[in-house]
Amino acid sequence: MFLALLLCYGGFTALCLSMDRHHAELLGRKPSARRRQAMKLSGWLLLALSLWAAVSSTGWGLGLVEWFAVLMLSALLLVWLMTYRPRLALALAGLSLLASPVAVFAKG
Amino acid sequence: MKEGFRQAMAWLHTWAGLIFGWLLFAIFLTGTLAYFKDEISHWMQPEVPARSLSSEASLALAQHYLEQHAAGASRWLIDLPDAREPGLSVRWQQAPAKPGTRGQFTEKRLDPQTGAEVQGRDTRGGEFFYRFHFQLQMPYPWGRWLSTIAAMVMFVALISGIITHKKIFKDFFTFRPRKGQRSWLDGHNAVGVLVLPFHLMITYSSLVIFMSMVMPASILAAYNGDVEAFYDEVFPASNTPDMAGKPGQLAPLAPLLERASELWSGGRTGSLTVNNSGDANASVILARDGADRVVHDFGSAVTFNGVTGQLLSATPKQAMPMVIAGSFYGLHMGHFAGPVLRWLYFMCGLAGTAMIGTGLVIWLGKRQLKHAKSGVMPFELRLVEVLNIASLSGLMVAVAVFFWANRLLPVAMAGRADWEVNSFFIVWGLSVLHAVVRRGRAAWVEQLALTALLFCALPLLNALTTPYHLGVTLMQGDWAMAGFDLTCLGSGLFFAWTAWKMQRAGQAGIATRPRAKPMLLEQEAH
Repeated sequence: MFLALLLCYGGFTALCLSMDRHHAELLGRKPSARRRQAMKLSGWLLLALSLWAAVSSTGWGLGLVEWFAVLMLSALLLVWLMTYRPRLALALAGLSLLASPVAVFAKG
Repeated sequence: MKEGFRQAMAWLHTWAGLIFGWLLFAIFLTGTLAYFKDEISHWMQPEVPARSLSSEASLALAQHYLEQHAAGASRWLIDLPDAREPGLSVRWQQAPAKPGTRGQFTEKRLDPQTGAEVQGRDTRGGEFFYRFHFQLQMPYPWGRWLSTIAAMVMFVALISGIITHKKIFKDFFTFRPRKGQRSWLDGHNAVGVLVLPFHLMITYSSLVIFMSMVMPASILAAYNGDVEAFYDEVFPASNTPDMAGKPGQLAPLAPLLERASELWSGGRTGSLTVNNSGDANASVILARDGADRVVHDFGSAVTFNGVTGQLLSATPKQAMPMVIAGSFYGLHMGHFAGPVLRWLYFMCGLAGTAMIGTGLVIWLGKRQLKHAKSGVMPFELRLVEVLNIASLSGLMVAVAVFFWANRLLPVAMAGRADWEVNSFFIVWGLSVLHAVVRRGRAAWVEQLALTALLFCALPLLNALTTPYHLGVTLMQGDWAMAGFDLTCLGSGLFFAWTAWKMQRAGQAGIATRPRAKPMLLEQEAH
C-alpha cells in the first residue's frame, strides 16, 4: 500500500501542476504548453502505476479497495498541504517519487 | 434548459441536505466510530484482558468450561477470540426455544489464557454506536426505516450535489482559506469530491444492505409475499440431526478447526455452535470468520458430528449475485480491513461527516448574511442555528460524556449500561437547551471548548480510575487501549483549536466584516 500511496501522491501533484492556477501558486509562474502536457501525462501515468502497485501486491479485491483509499487520502493530503504548507507539498511529491523505486526494490 | 435543470438540482441538494443533514451527521459520525467498535468495547471493558492465543487453545478451554457448567444444554455458542476482539465468549441455552421465540441464553466471558470467568463491567461499548448507526435508538422497525430513508436522501443529495457542482475538475484541488463563506464551500466541495468514491460506495451499499426495505417488490413478487422464504433461501440454515436420545461423549472440538480451514482453503473459524452436546447425535457447526476477504460471507458453515467427527454438510459456494451483494456488504462494514486500512476507513468516514457538517453550516451562513446588518434573525434561521449547534457540537459532547460515564458510574450499579446510554442522550438534550439559551457563536465556542476539555481529559480519567493508563498500555503494546487514549487526546486538541478559531473569528467579525465564518472543517473529527 505504501508504494501505491507514494505514486498516487506524486501523480496528483503532477496533475495539479498541469493546471495554470496551481502552477502559478506553487511555482510562481504559468507553465508552458509543453510542460502542461508533460505534467498531465505523467500524472495520469503515475496514477495508473499506483493502481498496478496496489493490485499486484494484494490482488484485485483488496488491491482495488486499498488503491481507492490511498487515492482519496493522498488527494486530501495534497489539497491540505498546498493551502498551509505549499513548499512541503512539493517537497513531499519529489521525495515520494524518489522513494518509490526504493519501495519497489524493498518489496521485491 | 440546462441551467434550469442544474438549478432544480441545486434546490434539491439544498433542501434534502438541510432536512436530513442533522440526522445524517449523527449516522455518519456513529458509523465512523463503529469502524473501531471492538477497540471501543475493549476500552470500555478494561477488565477483559487482551491476550493473543491460538484458537485451538481457546476452544479447548471453552469446551472444558462448558462441559463443567453447561453439560446437557441444548445449544452452546462459542465465539473465538481474534486479533481485534481478544475476549473468548461462551453462551448456552439450557432448553430448546419454542418455535417463533428467541431462546434464553446465558453468556459468560472467559480469560482465553486460563479459562476462568471474567466479569467485565456492564456496558454497551462500541456496540452502542454500531446499533445507533442504523437503528437510531428507536424500536424495531422504525429506526431502520428512518435510517433507510436517510440513506436514500443521502444518495439523492450526493447525485444532485455532483450535478450542481459546475467545476468539479477545474476546482478539483482548490481550497481557499480565510475567505468566509467561500472557504466553507471550498471545504465542502473538497471533502465531497476528493472522497467521492467512498461516499458513493457507503451510501449505495447501505441501500443494498437494506434492500428488502428499500425495494421489497421484486422479493415479494418472486416469493409470493413471503419475505421469510427469501431469507431462508439466501441464508440456508444448516440441517442438524435430531437427538438420538442416547448419551454420547463429545469429542475434542479443537481438531475440527483444522479440518474446516482445509475446506475453506485457509479461512478461519469465527464461531462454533454445538447442538445437544451430551447426545450421541451431537452436531458441531463451524461458521467462517469473514475477516480474511473483502466479500462478506453470509454464513459459510460446515457441520460435523460431534461424537464421531464425521462431516455432515457444508454450505455451497456463494452464487454470483450473492458475491456481488456480499462485496457491497463487506465494503460497507470493512471487517476485512487491517489496522492501516481501518484507519483510512475511519478518515474517510470523518471526511463524510465533515462534508455533512460543512453543508449545514453553509446553508445557514448564506442566509444569515442577509440579516447581518439588522442583527435580528428570523425564527426559522434561529431554529436551524440551534439545531446545527446541538447536532454538530452537541453530539460531540454527548460522545465524550458517554465515555466519561463508562469510567465514572459505579461498576456495581444496577442498569449501568442503560445509564451510560441515558447520559449520552441527556447531555445531547441539554446541548439543545444550551444552544437555545446562548447566542449562536457563544454556544458554538462553549460547546466546542467543553468537548475539547472532555476529550483531552479522558486519558487522565482513565489513568485515575483504572490501572490501564497510557504508560502501561504503551509498554504492553495494547494498541487498542493506547490508541483510544491517544485518539481522544488528538480529538481534544483538534476541538480546542476549532473553539479557539471560532472565538477569534467572532472577534474579528465584530471588528471588520459582518459575518466571517472561521475554518472549522478539514475533519469534524470524532
